[in-house]
Amino acid sequence: MQAIILFGVLISTYLMVIAKRSTSLIRAFRYQSFCLFLATLIIAFNEKQLDLYIVAGLLFVIKVLAIPRYLYRFLNKIKANEDLGLFINAQLSLLFALGFTYLAWVFARRLIVSDYALAAIVPAAAFFMVLIGIFLMIFRMTALAQIIGLLAAENGLFLLASTVSGGMPFFVEIAIFFDVFVSVIIMGFFIYRINKLFTHIDVNKLSRLRG
Amino acid sequence: MEILFILGAPLILAILAFVMKNKKAAGIINAISYFAVLSCALLLLKRCVLSECRVSFFGFIYLDALSAFFIFTASVVTFAAALYSIGYVNKDVKEGVISGRRAGIYYSLFNLFCFSMFLVPALNNLGMLWVAIEMTTLISAFLVGFYNTKKSVEAAWKYIIICSVGIILALLGTILFSYAFAVSGVAKSLNWTDIAQVAHILDKNILKIAFIFILVGYGTKAGLAPMHTWLPDAHSQAVSPISALLSGVLLKMALYAILRFGFIIIKGVGFEYFGNLMLLLGVISLVISSGFVLVQKDLKRLLAYSSIEHVGIISIGFGLGAPLGFIGALLHIFNHAVTKSLMFFTAADAISVYKKHNINAIRGVMKALPFAGVMMLLGVFALTGFPPFSIFISEILIIIAAFLNGSYFVAGLLLICLGIVFGAFIYHFGKMLFGNLPKGIIPAGEQLSAKFAYLVLLFPILALGIVLVFKQKDLIWIAQKLFQG
Repeated sequence: MQAIILFGVLISTYLMVIAKRSTSLIRAFRYQSFCLFLATLIIAFNEKQLDLYIVAGLLFVIKVLAIPRYLYRFLNKIKANEDLGLFINAQLSLLFALGFTYLAWVFARRLIVSDYALAAIVPAAAFFMVLIGIFLMIFRMTALAQIIGLLAAENGLFLLASTVSGGMPFFVEIAIFFDVFVSVIIMGFFIYRINKLFTHIDVNKLSRLRG
Repeated sequence: MEILFILGAPLILAILAFVMKNKKAAGIINAISYFAVLSCALLLLKRCVLSECRVSFFGFIYLDALSAFFIFTASVVTFAAALYSIGYVNKDVKEGVISGRRAGIYYSLFNLFCFSMFLVPALNNLGMLWVAIEMTTLISAFLVGFYNTKKSVEAAWKYIIICSVGIILALLGTILFSYAFAVSGVAKSLNWTDIAQVAHILDKNILKIAFIFILVGYGTKAGLAPMHTWLPDAHSQAVSPISALLSGVLLKMALYAILRFGFIIIKGVGFEYFGNLMLLLGVISLVISSGFVLVQKDLKRLLAYSSIEHVGIISIGFGLGAPLGFIGALLHIFNHAVTKSLMFFTAADAISVYKKHNINAIRGVMKALPFAGVMMLLGVFALTGFPPFSIFISEILIIIAAFLNGSYFVAGLLLICLGIVFGAFIYHFGKMLFGNLPKGIIPAGEQLSAKFAYLVLLFPILALGIVLVFKQKDLIWIAQKLFQG
């Protein structure tokens, strides 16, 4: 079961890499968050901890429902160009992503102290998600893609925290959720302003400040 | 108990500023309250240095001499910024740059920003530390983009995105630290006190990798090159009192986070590793920023690059190690905070007269603003490390530490870069301060609150610079106290 979910996480991350339009990127992010939600739910079920159920619930409400919906509504409102603006085309990005997968695996194998070789699989997936998140932030031109990249990286960290260190303390987890939610809203607010002032959300063209 | 007041006052003031109709009164109440906060911070510092004080609310808040020192530094700068804000905001409202309602929002954000910065050094839990630092970014992004012009919104966006990437890496580092702790088989916890206690038995490899992430992550926030690219934009576009807070306090809070993790590394891996990394980043920052200072055309960006330079010096100080390097770096944190705030305030005064950021457009500040001009001149000498100002003491301590350590290369580089920056500052500010007033510039009156703010900042600059020459022994005693925790 866990293997299937992990597979789902990986597939949705690859979907994010090859997405060319804002809506498909948001949809892929939603799949990714949903897989994480399932994974957390299973851990909660196995360990029978109320904390983990609450964390899973929050994950579902914030990352599967609230944030994608907010971003969709937002896209409609600003009527920005749907195109994400790829610096690197989808095929090449996919190649990069495959390279990152291997890199994450090597890194996780070196890092994780365990006799059992497969113990590194979940951390490897987590590092991979963080790498892809940062990749999206750098190699996509619109401000929206940067937000999604940040969220994807954060998802990866969530997965990492819940596997390697047995999860963050409960109130820290809540605080981080809250923080992510607030930061997405604030970034949305700034995209709205950028769109109003510049009539586009292409961050590549923001180059008034130099030197 | 002082800490409750220090954290509570900004929160109450934030609400108060939002509801109060009379914004000038709100500003004055603000300044008076921050004076109270400053006195509380002083009491806290005294208590924490003299006695083994470890206040702890359910293990949530942890205060030792080091955190008290950072809170004190923050409180001095916030008091001055609150004072300066009165006149500054008043002027903006009068000229119609911002509406009365926006002035209220400004004071609310100002207080929330201060709250988040006071919170950072008081926290024990490393996860919450991360949340608090992220909170400082989110709140200050509004203050960077406050004027809602194309440039300021662009700066705010860059600031929020680059710092978010940095902070994601810092969270990764934090998780790896907690992993190292979890592997060691002790209880599950993210409290600094718990992890630091068993630092020597933690897995060295994980700690090393985790610290690199921490250093890159929080280093982005601290403005260490080559992750500094957000800093000149944000500092130059923010509302001027906020520029002082960003440069004086925010960067230092990120350094505080690095130090906290650094203690675990020093205990767990050894000083060499921590020291070399800090030296490396410090030297890169110093070299890059001194080049940019030389060719800068924008007044506030010039000061921003000088902040990167000073963060580099502080980082070198920590890299050189105890006791001289450490005490030099700590003193430098305080000295740079007050001196740079003074410079940002005077620069803001000049910009509000000439309506331009460009260095070439600003001429004859001495004639246009006699009081601020003198302060700016003193500030230039203080910032470039002239005696009898306080930065001279901290820089000389760091240079001595470098020579005693045998790091002649670092010492030489430090001296060369300081020379370059000194030359650049004298050149740029000499042109701005003296010379004839451009046509059409009318010398405007100076704000009383701004004069007060200058004097508040000038006092520690001069006092420390003179007193510390005679008190080296006490200095070293305090340094040892600070690093017991």
